[in-house]
Amino acid sequence: MAIRPDRAPVFRLVLAATLAGSVAGLAAATGASAGTAASAGAPMNVRTAASMTPPPAAAAPLARGPLTETERARLVLDRLAFGARPGDVERVRAIGVDAWIARQLHPETIDDGDVARRVAGLQVPTMRTAELFARYPNPAMLLRREGLKKGDVDADPKARRQQLAREYRDKGYGRPRQVYLELATDRMLRATYSERQLQEVMVDFWSNHFNVYAKKNVLQWYLPAYDRDTIRPHALGKFRDLLLATARSPAMLYYLDNFQSVSPDADLASRMRANPKRAAKLPDGINENYARELMELHTLGVDGGYSQQDISEVARAFTGWTIADARGIGAAGTGQGMAAVGNGRQAGRYGRRGAAMRERMGVPPGVQSGEFYFNPILHDRGVKTVLGQRIDAGGADDGLAVIDLLARSPATAKFIAGKLCAKFVSDHPDPALVARVAAAFRRSDGDIRATLAALFRDPDFFAPQNYRAKVKTPFELVASSLRALGAQSNGREVQMLLADMGEPLYGYQAPTGYSDAAADWVNSGALLKRMNFAVALAANRIPGTRVDLDALGAADDPRAQLDAGISRWLGGAVSAETRRILLARLGQPLPEAQLDDAGSDAMAGEGIGGGRGGAPKVRLLAASGDPQRVQVAALILGSPEFQRQ
Amino acid sequence: MSTSRRVFLKSGGLALAGIGLAGALPGVMQSVALAAPPVARAGARPKTLVVVFQRGAVDGLNLLVPHGDSGYYRARSSIAVPRPGQADGALDLDGRFGLHPALAPLLPLWKAQRMAAVHAAGSPDNTRSHFDAQDYMESGTPGLKSTRDGWLNRLLQAQAGTSPFAAVAMTAQTPRMLAGPAPTIAMTSLARFAVQAGAYTAPIEGGFEQLWQRADAGDLGQAGHETFEAVQFLQNSGAARRRPDNGAVYPPGEFGNALRQLAQLVKADVGLRLGFAESGGWDTHVNQGGASGQLANRLREFGAGIAAFLTDLGSQRDEVLLVTMSEFGRTVHENGSRGTDHGHGNAMLLFGGAVDGGKIHGRWPGLDPAQLYEGRDLAVATDFRSVLGEVAHKHLRATNTAALFPGFAYSPANFVGALRA
Repeated sequence: MAIRPDRAPVFRLVLAATLAGSVAGLAAATGASAGTAASAGAPMNVRTAASMTPPPAAAAPLARGPLTETERARLVLDRLAFGARPGDVERVRAIGVDAWIARQLHPETIDDGDVARRVAGLQVPTMRTAELFARYPNPAMLLRREGLKKGDVDADPKARRQQLAREYRDKGYGRPRQVYLELATDRMLRATYSERQLQEVMVDFWSNHFNVYAKKNVLQWYLPAYDRDTIRPHALGKFRDLLLATARSPAMLYYLDNFQSVSPDADLASRMRANPKRAAKLPDGINENYARELMELHTLGVDGGYSQQDISEVARAFTGWTIADARGIGAAGTGQGMAAVGNGRQAGRYGRRGAAMRERMGVPPGVQSGEFYFNPILHDRGVKTVLGQRIDAGGADDGLAVIDLLARSPATAKFIAGKLCAKFVSDHPDPALVARVAAAFRRSDGDIRATLAALFRDPDFFAPQNYRAKVKTPFELVASSLRALGAQSNGREVQMLLADMGEPLYGYQAPTGYSDAAADWVNSGALLKRMNFAVALAANRIPGTRVDLDALGAADDPRAQLDAGISRWLGGAVSAETRRILLARLGQPLPEAQLDDAGSDAMAGEGIGGGRGGAPKVRLLAASGDPQRVQVAALILGSPEFQRQ
Repeated sequence: MSTSRRVFLKSGGLALAGIGLAGALPGVMQSVALAAPPVARAGARPKTLVVVFQRGAVDGLNLLVPHGDSGYYRARSSIAVPRPGQADGALDLDGRFGLHPALAPLLPLWKAQRMAAVHAAGSPDNTRSHFDAQDYMESGTPGLKSTRDGWLNRLLQAQAGTSPFAAVAMTAQTPRMLAGPAPTIAMTSLARFAVQAGAYTAPIEGGFEQLWQRADAGDLGQAGHETFEAVQFLQNSGAARRRPDNGAVYPPGEFGNALRQLAQLVKADVGLRLGFAESGGWDTHVNQGGASGQLANRLREFGAGIAAFLTDLGSQRDEVLLVTMSEFGRTVHENGSRGTDHGHGNAMLLFGGAVDGGKIHGRWPGLDPAQLYEGRDLAVATDFRSVLGEVAHKHLRATNTAALFPGFAYSPANFVGALRA
C-alpha cells in the first residue's frame, strides 16, 4: 500500500518561510495593500491554516501601539461572540475584558433565560430521533410503515402526492422539511440572542470541523440529536469526549457510511453467507470513508503521518458501530419505534417484522430507531495495528482505543490548535502561536476550555496586527447584523437567506465543512449578496425580523444620524474617509418615491430540507421605514468595515 | 492608479480611472461590452472554455462503459451497466465503449462528432483524498499544496484585454481552479447580480461603491472595485434577459441553472473566456446502482444539462469547448455496499466544435488484475494536464502554455488528439 509522501510538509515549510519574507516586500512595492489578492489563491475549504502558505498581507492597520481597552472589548465581542449589541462594549469594559472572557469560558455560570424563551416554541430540537421519525415522517418510510404498498397508491405521482397529503393531514404529521428548518432556526436564535456567546461560537466551529450534510438521505432527522447531544455538551469540554460523541453519533455514522461497514470475517457475514438467499444481500465490505476522514479531517490532519494501511485498520476497528433502524422504518408515522416493538406493543404489521429484525440485528432494549448501538455480529474481531500500536481490546473497545490514540496524538494537538488559531486570531496564524496553543492542548489532555484560555491569554491574541484581521462568514454576518441593530427576529426566514449567501447550516456536502478564511468568502457575487442583505434587513424586508432605527435620531439631521449609527454599530471605528463619504451621500436628496416601491424581487433561499428541488424561497416584504435612516443603516452594515471582525 | 482599472486600460486605453460607475456614461460601457477583446491571432473569433467539475469522484467506468472489456463485468456483479443491445444496456459508441443509458441526450452530439472523450485520464498523484485530489487538479500541480493560484486563473492571466466577465464561476464561492490574482467572478444568478434597493438603488449603490472603492479597504476593497464594474457591465449587456434558444430545455436544479446562465453570458458576448460550473453528489460509496439508481439519476441531470447547453448555443457552440473532469475515478470492483470506493483513472468528456469528435482518445490500460493501479483501480494512461494543455493550446490559442502547469513536461507531442488541429 502506498504511503503518503513525506516530502510535502518540508517543502511547504520552506516555501512558507520564503513567502513570508517576501510578502512584506510585495505589499510595499505595489503600494496598494494586498492589491493582487482579491480572489486570493487559497484552496477551497481550507482545513488548516498551517498547511497553507500565507498570502500577501491582509489589510492590516499601519504599525501602531497596543489596542485600547475599547478595542480589546470590541475584539472579544467580534471573535468570542457574534459581534456587539448596543451597549455590549460598555458592559464588557465594566466587568473587564479578562473577566468577561473567563465568564464566557464557563457558560454554565451565565443566565440564558432570554434565548430559552425565544426557542421555547421550537419542538424539534428537544425531540429524540425516533420521535422525529414518528411525527415528521419520511414519505417513503411512511408508505412502507403504514402498509401503503405501491399497489395501494395510485401509480400517478400527482394522485400519490395528494394521498400522502391527506395522510399527513389526517394523522397530524409534520412535513420532514420542518426538522431541518426548526433546528437551523434554533441555531440562528442562539447565535443571535444567547448570552453564552462563546459556547455558540464553539458550536458553530465544531459543527464545521465535524461536518455533516443535511441532504444526505435521512441525515436531517439525525441533526437535532447531533446538535443537542453530541456537539453542544462537549463544545468546551474534553476533545476526546467530543470526538467519541461524534464517532458514535448516528449523524456521523450515517454521513460517512460507517453504520453499514461490515467485516467480511464478522459473524453476520458468516451467518448470511450460510443462507444463499441472504448471502445475495450481504454488504460484506468494509467501508473506509469514516476511518479516512476521522484521521484526515477530525484529528491528525492530512499530514498527520497516517497511511492507507492505518485507514484500513481503523475501519476494521469501527465495524459494528451502527444505527438501529437507520431509515426509521419502524418509527415512521405514529409507530413507537423499535423500543415499543421490543416491549411487545405491536403497532401495525411492521411491528412484528420489526421485532424480528431487532432481535436479528442485536438491538438492545431501550435503543430506539435512529440511535447508536454496537453490533458485535458486524465487528471484525481480529487484532488491528494503528499508527504502530496494537489494538486488541475487543468489541466496541477497539474503536474506543482508536479514539483515545488519535485524541492524544501530538499531530492532533497541532491540527486542532492550527484550526483554533485560524478561527480566533487570523487566517494565517504564526506557527509559533500554533505551537504554543498545541502545547496547551497537550498539557491539559485536550481540554478545549483550557486550550482556549491559553489562546486568549496569548500576546498574539490582542496583537494590533490581528485586530479586525478576519472577515465574517455569512452566518457570522447575519448574526452580527441582527445583534448590532438590536433586531427582533424569529430566526426562521433570516436563516433561510444563508443559503443564498452560500452558507446554509449543515449544507456543506464534503466532510471538510465551511471554510473560515476570507479568501473563500470574498468575491464579487458574495459581496453583492452581503450588501443586499444589509439593505433588506435595514428596510425591514425580511419576514419574521424587525429592526427599529429610531435610535438613529432626528430625520432632519443626517450628520447626527450618521454619528449615532457609526457609534452604535461600528463602535465609532471608521476612518475619516468613510465618515466623509457617508456624510456626502446622506447630504444628497433622495429620489421622490416611496421606499416600498421595491418590486417583487425574492432573495431565493436555496433551502435544505424540502423535497427534491423544492427549495423554499424567502419572499421579501415591501420595504418600510424612514428612507434616510434605512440608507444609513444599510450602508454601514454593507460596508467593508462591517464585514471585518 | 488602482489596479482595478487595468482591465479597461488594457482593452483600448479607455481612461475610466477615477470615474465612479454610479452615473457612468452608459454609452461608454456599451462599447466596451460589445467590442471583441483582442485575440492572439487576427481573424479568429474569440473562444470560450467551460470547465465542469464533478465533485466527489464520478464513476468513469459506469459513465463511459468499457463493455468490450470482460474484466468490467467480472468485477461488478451487481452494478455493471449491461452490454449494448440488452435491456437498459449501454449506448454503444465505438464497439468497445458505450455511454451509460442515462446519458442518451449526449448521443446525438457523439454522432455529430461534437463530443469526444479521453478515458483512463487523471492525475499521477496517488492520493485518494477528495480534498487533496481536487486541490491538485484545480491548482494543476499534483503533489504540491503550496501552489496558490488555480490553473484557470493562470490561463486567464495569459489572456490579453479581458472584460470583467472574462472568467465566471457559477458558484457561490470562487472555486480553487479560478483562485488567483486575475479578477474573476463567482455568482449563482445573473439576474440578481446587482444591488437591489428598489427606487433607492441608485443612491445606495453609489454609496456602497464609494465605500468599497476607498484605497485603504485593502483586499476587501479590491474585490469591491471589481464588483461594481462587473454589475454595470452585466446590466448593459442584457445577458440576464436572454432566453434559451433552439428549443433547449435545461434540467431543473443548480447544474441546469449554471449552464443556462453560462450560455446567456456566451450569447450576450460579454467577453466570457472561461466558465466554470460544478456538479456534486458523485461519491457513490453505497448503492450506486447500475443502469438505474443513484448514479443514473445524477447522470441524467448531467447529460441533459450539457446537451441543453450545446443546443442553446446554436452556431456559437463552435466557439465553445466544454470539458468535464473529476478528482479521481472509482474502484474497478464494487465494494460491499454495492458501491465503489475511491479510485484513480477516470473519463474526461469534451464537447464543442473544436473536438475531434466521435472518438475515445488516449490509451486504454485494460481491466485485467495485472493492469490495475495498485491492484484495484483503472490506471491513468493520460495525464489530465496534457488534455487541458491541448485544450488551452488549440482551442484558446494560449501562448506560453508550458507555464500553465508548472513542473509538467508540456509538449504538443504528448497531446492525445482530442481536439482537431
